[in-house]
Amino acid sequence: MKFSEIASAKKIGKDFFELSFSIDSEVKPGQFLMIWVPGVKEIPMSVSNLKNPITISFKAIGETTRKLSTMREGQRIFYRGPYGNTFPEPKGRAAYVAGGTGIASLLPLIRIHPGDVYYGLRTAEDIVYGEIVNFVSTDDGTLGFKGNVVDLFIKEDKEYDEVFVCGPEPMMKYFHDKIDRRKYGKIYYSLERLMKCGVGICDSCSINGFRVCKDGTVFEHEQLDMMDEFGTVRRAESGRRIFLK
Amino acid sequence: MDISTVIAGTRFDNPVFLASGIVDETLKSVERAIKSGAGAAVTKSIGKDERPGYAPPIISELPTGMINAVGLANPGIDDFIDEFRTSKLKEKIVVSIFGKDSEEFLELAKRVQEVGFKTVELNLSCPHVKGYGSEVGEDPDLVEEIITELKNKTNLKVWAKLTPNVTHIVDIAKAAEGADALVLINTVKAIGVNIWARKFSLTNGIGGYSGPGIKPIALRAVYDVYRETGKEIIGVGGITSYEDAIEFILLGAKAVQVGTAIYYKDFQIFNEISQGIINYLEKEGFENLQEIIGLMVR
Repeated sequence: MKFSEIASAKKIGKDFFELSFSIDSEVKPGQFLMIWVPGVKEIPMSVSNLKNPITISFKAIGETTRKLSTMREGQRIFYRGPYGNTFPEPKGRAAYVAGGTGIASLLPLIRIHPGDVYYGLRTAEDIVYGEIVNFVSTDDGTLGFKGNVVDLFIKEDKEYDEVFVCGPEPMMKYFHDKIDRRKYGKIYYSLERLMKCGVGICDSCSINGFRVCKDGTVFEHEQLDMMDEFGTVRRAESGRRIFLK
Repeated sequence: MDISTVIAGTRFDNPVFLASGIVDETLKSVERAIKSGAGAAVTKSIGKDERPGYAPPIISELPTGMINAVGLANPGIDDFIDEFRTSKLKEKIVVSIFGKDSEEFLELAKRVQEVGFKTVELNLSCPHVKGYGSEVGEDPDLVEEIITELKNKTNLKVWAKLTPNVTHIVDIAKAAEGADALVLINTVKAIGVNIWARKFSLTNGIGGYSGPGIKPIALRAVYDVYRETGKEIIGVGGITSYEDAIEFILLGAKAVQVGTAIYYKDFQIFNEISQGIINYLEKEGFENLQEIIGLMVR
């Protein structure tokens, strides 16, 4: 476990925060850190800006993220990592499809290789990073397309060499099952699961024997074809299966 | 080169097994270990009821291994059976079970037997959960009673995984003599401290130390118990290479288990160690694995 001092702490949207701090190793697009808040918990968090001081972007929704949201410049932040595999660097015409906080793990790629950014939110007031978004959807129609971001992506009907997807698993499952696969070159998904160890040994985040923390978090479309638990079975903290359909 | 090994009458293609507690909560991961070359794979320990385990941090990485306190997270026997009963690799899957007394162990063992598993490993050694694991495994009378119950009332092969956190491991091994094989050792009870947070490294404070740092402790346990009891032994503790595995085998282990090594070398560890053992036996002029089991103790 390492620690760093927070260089800056910002609120950038409704319940949405950024913390920046310098770390001593290189982070690649798609990788994550395990962030420990002593006395609370340790959680995985994707890195939204890879250059020191690096940035983590998160919504204050649980005990740990709420505590993180109260942290200020100069305070210590504990971390280990980076862990996980990486997104390949896009080469052609790229699309980025994000749901909610999923935008955080796509930001480094968007900065390196701009493309069309599709962003799905629940409601207008959830918007962050609006300046880089090309197409927005909201569940309640208060901003942009009314409906989900996958339907928006399909409606726009553009062709891409590479598509990068990150969001809640039901959204990614819907994307995976709904799109016309032939219209796109490579499609990459960054998955998110309950994670405990972050290094591939506790099996908490595994989907059909693929560990999201170690074999992922980035998987190709065709790998997801082989995972019948993707979007259908999640795991409780005990490892008990919870069937989603 | 024949590196098969026979434990309590059951033949395994190779002597490199997956240890309990490492990437073995889900059936597909257990099967992945076997498909990656594990001679057998032991599941995460299963109890009667669902347990969420401890909140993270559940592991702390060290230069010489790691400390963990997962807290016996498991879905409970009902859900476990639902998931694992469909496996076609049951012959190679050993189910680790834990309970607070012989009644619980027996109940779990019967459920496991019902769906076609042949071997159970008794967790008598988890160092970080009150009322279970090593708290049971430190009591020789209780250990003996549990094993006698299981041997009398089931047809399962019983492996007993013992704790090193006792004054005389040989005494516990003798109490466990009724078991078909002994698995030595579980993690070493340990603590990690973070001086910059002035907190324990793990949420639970107390954890179990595994990895290269505990190998000499495990070797000593295997040697003492093999010499004193002659029991069939499966060695575990800090094995990350074929050389490590052979050290255990020379001191009497008929097979080894690897766990923390997955963290260093991932699933390829199984084939790497098996191939290393084959090369060693050829180079050193042995005919098969059997020739070197306990060679230094005879």
